[in-house]
Amino acid sequence: MAGRRVSDRGGGKMNRLRPYLPAAVRVSLGAIFIYAALPKIADPVAFAGSVASYQILPYFWSYLAAAVLPFLELTCGLLLIRGYRVKAGALIIAALNVAFMAALVSAIVRGLDIDCGCFQQGGSETSPWVALARDTVFLAMTGMVLWFEARRKRPPASISPPFTPPSSVPSK
Amino acid sequence: MLKNSWLGTVAEIALIVTISALVGIFWNRTLLADAWRGKPTQQAEAAPQGEALPMPIGLMQVKEMHDAKQAVLVDARNLDSFAQEHIAGAIPLPLEEARKHPVSLLNDIIPPDSMIITYCNGFSCRDSMDLGEVLIKAGYRSVYVFEGGLPEWRDAGYPIAGVGR
Repeated sequence: MAGRRVSDRGGGKMNRLRPYLPAAVRVSLGAIFIYAALPKIADPVAFAGSVASYQILPYFWSYLAAAVLPFLELTCGLLLIRGYRVKAGALIIAALNVAFMAALVSAIVRGLDIDCGCFQQGGSETSPWVALARDTVFLAMTGMVLWFEARRKRPPASISPPFTPPSSVPSK
Repeated sequence: MLKNSWLGTVAEIALIVTISALVGIFWNRTLLADAWRGKPTQQAEAAPQGEALPMPIGLMQVKEMHDAKQAVLVDARNLDSFAQEHIAGAIPLPLEEARKHPVSLLNDIIPPDSMIITYCNGFSCRDSMDLGEVLIKAGYRSVYVFEGGLPEWRDAGYPIAGVGR
């Protein structure tokens, strides 16, 4: 209740939600990556097939990527949700996203008609263009997470409200 | 200060990637070991029910699998012919005998999960195809037939064993 009163004074609905935005973006992004990781962990052979269909990696490396990538997605997703080592986790997710987008672009350029293999394996086919658009959104979210994180960590003088003079602190 | 925080982040990234990679590799160790050895994956291996015909396979593939010891070569001809001459490293399993053997005995001769290539006296001979079907019915999942058989192998100058040599 008290929070509501304070925010009402501060302005409209957006302002009330604003403090939660960084956490919301961070947790959503983490959840998306966990959601993407679980089906791949459950069926690594199918995911290896998806990786192989991009025809980028040699045979064994498709399997290695299929074995390692989902766990990397899972770890980073968990870190983001937990809010622990957010910068490192978000940077890895950004790198993964860039790699996925590069793979998708190469598939489009070579005219490969393949399923993106991003989430559910062997389900309905997602066109590379849709997947690319989706990855762009994820990359933007990652950028936001990194930006919020940098702002949170910046020394107080540069971002926090004007420094409160010691005189206003109630003395003991 | 800034440099330290960057170094710290890089170290964290390295740690996260390493741990995830190790967990992923450990979790999928059997699959990766199979992929490393070039074994067909479970998906490709699981022949649909009712499809009881062995796959034909060419001389070059047979030679590669023979050299890499990835497959068991099974001679479908009778024991006398086998004793005379056979592909080096092959094991004898005459079609008539295979038909009489119970599955447990077949499993003693050929381990259940092995990849099998049957052969006999070339394209004119059907025994290797029939033996392949017998083996598939016995539960073997990767059964191939080298239709060129002993003549094609011999003509290519590949290793042969037997008293007739």
